[in-house]
Amino acid sequence: MSLDAEKKIAVHCRNIIKTYGTGASEVFALRGADLDVYEGELLMLVGPSGCGKTTFISIFTALLSADGGECDILGKDLNTLSSDQKVHLRAKSIGFVFQAFNLLPALTAQENVAVPLLIQGVGRKVAMQEAKLVLDSVGLGARSSALPAELSGGMQQRVAIARALVHHPKLIVCDEPTSSLDHESGHVIMKLLRDIVDNSNTTLIVVTHDDRIYEFADRMAHMDDGKIIKIETMKNQQGIIA
Amino acid sequence: MYQIALKMLMGDRAKYIGLLLGIAFTAFLVTFALSYFAGFITRGFALISENNSADVWVMDPAVNSTELTINMPDSTLGRVRSVKGVDYAVPMSLNDITARFPNGSFQFFQMIGVDDATLAGAPMLLDGRLPEVLHTPDSVIVDAGGSAGKLQTPLAKRDQWPFDRAHLNVPTRELMLGDELLVNDRRIIISGRSKTIPRFPPRPLLYTTYSNVTHLLPSESRRLTFVLVSAQENISPKQLANRIEQQTGLRARTASEFKEDTVHWFLINSEDVGDMAAMLILAMTVGFGVTGVMLYMFTYENLKQYAVLKAMGASASMLLGMIFIQAGVGALLGAGMGIGMCAIVGESVSMTLDYPFRMMWFTPLFGILGVLIVSLTAAAISARPVLKLEPGVVFSGR
Ligand SMILES: Nc1ncnc2c1ncn2[C@@H]1O[C@H](COP(=O)(O)OP(=O)(O)O)[C@@H](O)[C@H]1O
Ligand SMILES: [Mg+2]
Repeated sequence: MSLDAEKKIAVHCRNIIKTYGTGASEVFALRGADLDVYEGELLMLVGPSGCGKTTFISIFTALLSADGGECDILGKDLNTLSSDQKVHLRAKSIGFVFQAFNLLPALTAQENVAVPLLIQGVGRKVAMQEAKLVLDSVGLGARSSALPAELSGGMQQRVAIARALVHHPKLIVCDEPTSSLDHESGHVIMKLLRDIVDNSNTTLIVVTHDDRIYEFADRMAHMDDGKIIKIETMKNQQGIIA
Repeated sequence: MYQIALKMLMGDRAKYIGLLLGIAFTAFLVTFALSYFAGFITRGFALISENNSADVWVMDPAVNSTELTINMPDSTLGRVRSVKGVDYAVPMSLNDITARFPNGSFQFFQMIGVDDATLAGAPMLLDGRLPEVLHTPDSVIVDAGGSAGKLQTPLAKRDQWPFDRAHLNVPTRELMLGDELLVNDRRIIISGRSKTIPRFPPRPLLYTTYSNVTHLLPSESRRLTFVLVSAQENISPKQLANRIEQQTGLRARTASEFKEDTVHWFLINSEDVGDMAAMLILAMTVGFGVTGVMLYMFTYENLKQYAVLKAMGASASMLLGMIFIQAGVGALLGAGMGIGMCAIVGESVSMTLDYPFRMMWFTPLFGILGVLIVSLTAAAISARPVLKLEPGVVFSGR
């Protein structure tokens, strides 16, 4: 896991420890996880269910505090950030895509996409305009006034991706983005994500155990039992990673 | 974001309407119970309302309501009349009497004796009659006073004033003009019927002249319960009351003070009012409980959505603002609906069925305020899990 000095690092984690519960019910979710993610790469975090993937990404997106270890995210040391600063970091610099889409059911596709901008205090009119553009870019411009319930799973996930993109975050984290989708829709989603990485300097971390989409990764980080056990560089992406 | 909060509130039509109806129900319940209570209390001081031309009420120093009274000597009237600033003063006599119906059955009445000269205190009469009918000897005006079925006299001639024995349980009809009753073995004649403000507690009323009271209750040496005073223009009722108290040693209260005294007396002394207050509190507790639980559940069901917003960088104060906006808007809309409903139902019920209902200016305000406070409290409580929520839960599948 030695680093190439020329590559800038977006996520740098060392010896992350996290336990849930205490006493008899104590669960060691992370037992010293190390990871570096380069700017502008698509890294897949893979491993068996329960090995700690979700816990790990929750920690370096500042959704959860670790019990030990160090994390630098986009040049900021998480241990030194106040909770307000963490909130700000998430709002400003991180985009999320969830397995269950997690769109707000009462809002139209366009409004859902606008939410991260509204959270940042962007005016409604501007936010809605931006949202429309991004929806266009994921191919859903025509459905911008549809409610989530009126869209297929694949479409909802594309809306979710638009929402993760709309505020131009440096880092996008996706937890099992294709697990709720059929093979074809999953493929469309991964192509979209791959395009984002290829056409911008955005860093993407995709948690998955769907081996049908491994081909889209630049690198694979294999996790087991609360640790990163192997990093694998994929050959087929003509991109940043040699 | 507040717009989004409102969309979240109204997004699920069924849930939203349920929530509004729940809040409306509470507001309805609370306002209705309060108005009902106010209606009863208002009936409690009906005598004072009925005599609205009296600026000051003068009474025995120990009396502090219209409900529990003791009489003063007749000479008191002159003492009050001699106080400077009194424009005119008339006597009023309250007595509880038992009157016998022609068949031998009997009924308690409150007899109200009014000034012979002015007939001030006599009610408006039905049947197109005038209070002057009271000038006929032994005549009385009868009023149900909010009671029902207590003014029944025998229908058949043969059941009236029978010689053998009482004819109880015989067919009866409502008292009419010209009917006669016995009070202290003296006949009185119904020469007028009225329908004045119902009393609380309900009681049949007999209005008659002050001199007729003297005639009907010869053994009573004291018959003067109140002196009703009208103030001269150059003095306020309050000042005049003070002056009367100083000069006579009697209790003198302005009409509004005396109403307050009477309400106060009811609140402290009447078990019925106590029971009603308990019911009122029960109704409010139930209503407020329903509202609180519904609002709490509403937020609780939206926890996941708040978690998503939190993960995406919504600050605690932003989320709190959203929750409070939702609660506040829901509360105000629901309360408005409930109070509107209450006004319509209450007014129509009180008009068609003679039902005590009085929506005072502060009653709906209290309803709205109560609902708002409960809703915001429920929101504050339901906000706790939102604020404590690990935003990481959004990753945990569905
Ligand atoms: N909130 C929690 N409380 C207790 N245990 C948890 C919690 N979240 C996760 N765990 C446990 O931590 C371990 C890692 O979970 P997770 O990070 O979700 O794994 P993965 O995403 O790889 O399936 C599992 O054993 C899981 O049961
Ligand atoms: Mg997981």
